[in-house]
Amino acid sequence: MIRARGLGWRYAGRPAPALRDVELDLEEGACLLVAGPSGSGKSTLGLAIAGLIPHEFAGTWSGELDVAGMSVSRTARARLAGATGILFQESAAQLVMELVEDDIAFGLENRAWDRPAMQRRVAGTLEEMGIAGLARRRSVTLSGGEQQRVALAAVLAPRPRVLVLDEPTSNLDPAGSAAFYDALVRLRRGPAPPTIVLVEHRVDLALPLADRLLALDATGHPIAAGPARETFASSGAALAAAGIWTPGEATRRLAKAMASGGRARRNGQPLLEARDLGHRYGDGPPALHGVTVTIGAGERVALVGANGSGKSTLSRLAAGLLAAREGSVRLAGTDPARLPARELPHRAAYVFQDPAVQFLADRVADELHVGLRTPEEHAAADELLGRLDLDRPGLADASPHRLSGGEQRRLSVGCALARDPALVVLDEPTYGQDRVHHETLVDLIRGRVDRGAAMLAATHDVLFAAEAAERAIGLRAGQVAWDGPTAALFADVAARAELALG
Amino acid sequence: MSGIAAAALAAARPTGPSEASLLGRTSPLVKLAVAIAWLTGMTLSLDPLPPLILALAAFVGGALLGAIRLRRMATWMAPLWIGALGIAAFNALFAAANADPAAVEAFRVGPGRVTEPALIAGLALGLRVLAIASVSAVFVLTTGPTRLADALVQQARLPARFAYGALAAYQAVPRLADDLSDLRAARRTRGLRGGWHPRVLLGLLVLAVRHADRLALAMDARAFGLGPRSAYREVRITLRDPAVLGLGLGALLLALLAGGTLGP
Repeated sequence: MIRARGLGWRYAGRPAPALRDVELDLEEGACLLVAGPSGSGKSTLGLAIAGLIPHEFAGTWSGELDVAGMSVSRTARARLAGATGILFQESAAQLVMELVEDDIAFGLENRAWDRPAMQRRVAGTLEEMGIAGLARRRSVTLSGGEQQRVALAAVLAPRPRVLVLDEPTSNLDPAGSAAFYDALVRLRRGPAPPTIVLVEHRVDLALPLADRLLALDATGHPIAAGPARETFASSGAALAAAGIWTPGEATRRLAKAMASGGRARRNGQPLLEARDLGHRYGDGPPALHGVTVTIGAGERVALVGANGSGKSTLSRLAAGLLAAREGSVRLAGTDPARLPARELPHRAAYVFQDPAVQFLADRVADELHVGLRTPEEHAAADELLGRLDLDRPGLADASPHRLSGGEQRRLSVGCALARDPALVVLDEPTYGQDRVHHETLVDLIRGRVDRGAAMLAATHDVLFAAEAAERAIGLRAGQVAWDGPTAALFADVAARAELALG
Repeated sequence: MSGIAAAALAAARPTGPSEASLLGRTSPLVKLAVAIAWLTGMTLSLDPLPPLILALAAFVGGALLGAIRLRRMATWMAPLWIGALGIAAFNALFAAANADPAAVEAFRVGPGRVTEPALIAGLALGLRVLAIASVSAVFVLTTGPTRLADALVQQARLPARFAYGALAAYQAVPRLADDLSDLRAARRTRGLRGGWHPRVLLGLLVLAVRHADRLALAMDARAFGLGPRSAYREVRITLRDPAVLGLGLGALLLALLAGGTLGP
């Protein structure tokens, strides 16, 4: 179904190819896991298999790629699009129509199906994907997990022969990810399943589905290929060295973190005090209600809960980016939302889920220096750039917006740590990070915390929560549903389920 | 964080346009034609009566034929009424006709006198604004964006790329508000002031372009714009379309007759 010989691609304006010398043979109905560190060309390969590269991008193509019997570089986009479908990680950017039902029909309309056939297929797809109840909902009112299942249904409705999934669950809470993968498992058990190409960092989620593996290194070069489990067993060390998670590794580390965890570290003075805190956006329903928590100086806290449970809202209130509409927040005795802009960075730092919103400089090297005042701060920022692995020539001079997702994330965490804030607030800090950079981030954050800062990290990443935080606060529908040692939370099956931790 | 403004917007519009009603099922193009006819018709008269009749007709039509709940219509219309009243008062108070000693005085406001011609001209202007705003409100409250795009493509033969591209972009508008508050917050975390700094606007542009790129790619990946298209929802012309058109034009004719514009 998919056959590649010496496939390579270099984006226009980039010095090095994103992908090189890829050889691939995938039979019909198989599922291929594409693994590799960030910037290894995984997404590029997905875009090529979906027929978007080379037709919708500028660059240089080399080698051969055949998908469903068509040569991708020599076949018109219209014919390729008929046979393929691709799902991206950001669900909000792929729902086109206002209503769910219309969005599922969109791909059928584009293929000029007649109306009765379209109506049957839309109804059938809604039923198969278990989202019939959402048919008449407006897409913008859906939760992240619902949006991604609708987006999958919309891509599947025309029954593509090849389905590309590019980190489809990285925005979802663990329960939402599990539900998404369950839907994929059902799809593969059904009649005439599509051939699937799955790009995923989290190997443990993908392995029950994948029967083949293609591993790429940081330069876009294949380092291992073959049957998934056997290849992981035989080349595990090489894959780990290249920054790829290996099967069971996350589970083992989670167990270890839980065994050693549980000791409270509530040593310092109260730093953050929230009393009866509540918030709503506009006339909307309460995003947060009656939240009373105290975080001590130097404490490391993971903020967990389902998509939409109020994690981002509580983090923003804590960092003084949002003014409380009910109750009060005090950060070292002052309302952080009322602090003058010059003083805030010394009290609280904030790392956004989408790194792109927080870049203020034209060059990567300048980004860490924004807003710094003393020579010591500037010297520390230069040193930090090296630790973030962003001081290489070509990278340091680039615009922050040209960096890969993983590089942007590191830079954004660096910006927050460039000063000595008393509280570091992070929103999904490990989102989309490969193994090596996950470690770098955890180390960086730990280093700063060990020098006395407190941490509040909103996260879906169970391993990060277990390794980086002794205490967990669980939110459910805007209210505190759990507050205690992280290890105790992960040991409590009922609480885990309630907080969508799977 | 993304979607917070979107969720707020959705909550503020719990029911969506009343599409099940007679006006809701009428082709958006017919409603648009009536609105344009009213707009043009009102320029024919300087009398306050025709726009008053049309504003009331829009209100009654919206309630009876559009099945818009009175409460909902009132929340939309109240600011329009207040605005129109303000325009009328301003124009009546500061009209040049007030200085004309020959004009009949209507009443005095402190030292100033308001003459009858000024009062009538002010009222006519205010009521025209009100009528235009009312008919637009009824159009918006009975027309969903999807149905408008469908009608533009199927009946006005607008290119699908344009109509559905605009519809997709419309879905992203609430996101822009989220991006703006994120960008301002990001400056604050770095010790800088937010506001409308040029950097904030540049950032907004970068994010909007990035989002548009991704959306366009997702649409292309779903075979959009690659060949002839079919339509999932058909916007059909039925008897109700000429009926609504007739009612609309009839109301306009009556209003103009009542204002004496078309009379002998």
